[in-house]
Amino acid sequence: MASYYDIGDILAEEELVPTVFQYGANGVGLLDSSDDADKVEAGSRAELPFWLVRELYLRQLVSIRVPPCFDRESKTREEIAADAAHVDLRSRSPYFYELGCKIALLIRDRTIGPFLLVAFQTRYRDVLVKAHALTLTMTPKYLTLLTNEEIKLYEAGQSSIAAFKKWRMGGPRFQVAPVLGRKRKLT
Amino acid sequence: MAGTSDPHASAFSAAELEFLAEDEMIEIVPNLRMDALNFISGDFGPFRPQIPTQAPLWLAVALKKRGKCTIRAPEWMSVDKLTQVLEAERDSDKFQPLPFHYVEISRLLFDHAQGDIPDTYMVRSLIEDIKDVRFHKIGKGLESISGGGTFALKLKNLSAMEANIVRPFVTRALETFYKLSSSDMIQETDNAPNRQQTANRGPRVSYMFMLYIVKSPTDAQRQLKDR
Repeated sequence: MASYYDIGDILAEEELVPTVFQYGANGVGLLDSSDDADKVEAGSRAELPFWLVRELYLRQLVSIRVPPCFDRESKTREEIAADAAHVDLRSRSPYFYELGCKIALLIRDRTIGPFLLVAFQTRYRDVLVKAHALTLTMTPKYLTLLTNEEIKLYEAGQSSIAAFKKWRMGGPRFQVAPVLGRKRKLT
Repeated sequence: MAGTSDPHASAFSAAELEFLAEDEMIEIVPNLRMDALNFISGDFGPFRPQIPTQAPLWLAVALKKRGKCTIRAPEWMSVDKLTQVLEAERDSDKFQPLPFHYVEISRLLFDHAQGDIPDTYMVRSLIEDIKDVRFHKIGKGLESISGGGTFALKLKNLSAMEANIVRPFVTRALETFYKLSSSDMIQETDNAPNRQQTANRGPRVSYMFMLYIVKSPTDAQRQLKDR
């Protein structure tokens, strides 16, 4: 699914994940900007991009704290359970689902998978209805709630409907080649 | 084909579907005398005045434009048939059998051969209604998809245009459903030691959503199309 060159996949791995360093490390002060010593103490906390966290985690140099939006007792979970369609997931993370999948696989958290699935199931229905019904003027407000994945889905639905409507309306069947429209130059 | 670069784009544009629909056969009554035409895709004709014969839609439209024939509306485009279909469509959850290209064919005929269709207005509004009912049904059907094992949809009697419109949305949605409900995400964590096994099982259903088979219009035919 996610190919090596998939820009969405690459950007999703840029998302920050809170971590705790298990060991001190010299020369990587930029990861933890709180002091000038150019080193990270054991037990200090830092938010690192996921691609880095994965490597460090597999070497057991850091431990992962589940990001608040996936945490078991988080507000997000309660909100999703209450009314998933109107939760602003985009402010949580524009790559909510992708990041969730990656983290769940990495730390073997069995609750994240079903949680994501439920969230998408309920929100999918809303995207579907809106994509088929909304006029273009109303969209910007709604789109701010969606994650990137949902926006793509929404646009896929809407553009095909729009293309069909355009075809139905008819209009010019032939497009005049730009060369033909040109007036002959006076010589 | 449009959108080969983006796998999620519609496989065909509406105009391309119209092009494919033009290969459907239709009955015409020529008013000219012409020998049979021998094409790669088949022989059509001979054409004799007032003797009905079969021709592909593109040829029929081309002749019609020159005033060389009248087109006989296909059987399903009669008021009786369409009323039946509309009622059945409203009553049942299933899609009624209609020609695969009914949207495109009806539009082509209304555009080029309006005078040849009996009860034009009635037929037009009936087809419009049928189309609306079916689209509504598709929307309802898609709402009821609920992940957890839905990797493929079988939509019997769906027409080319309808399938084409929902394709980008549905393939993308199914893909996400698949990703989120794959065995890796849901079950793997229960039995971490068996991870290798679960991973090997891979996708249980390789979903293919409404593969559309082109009826191979030959190049010669494309060139002959007088559009």
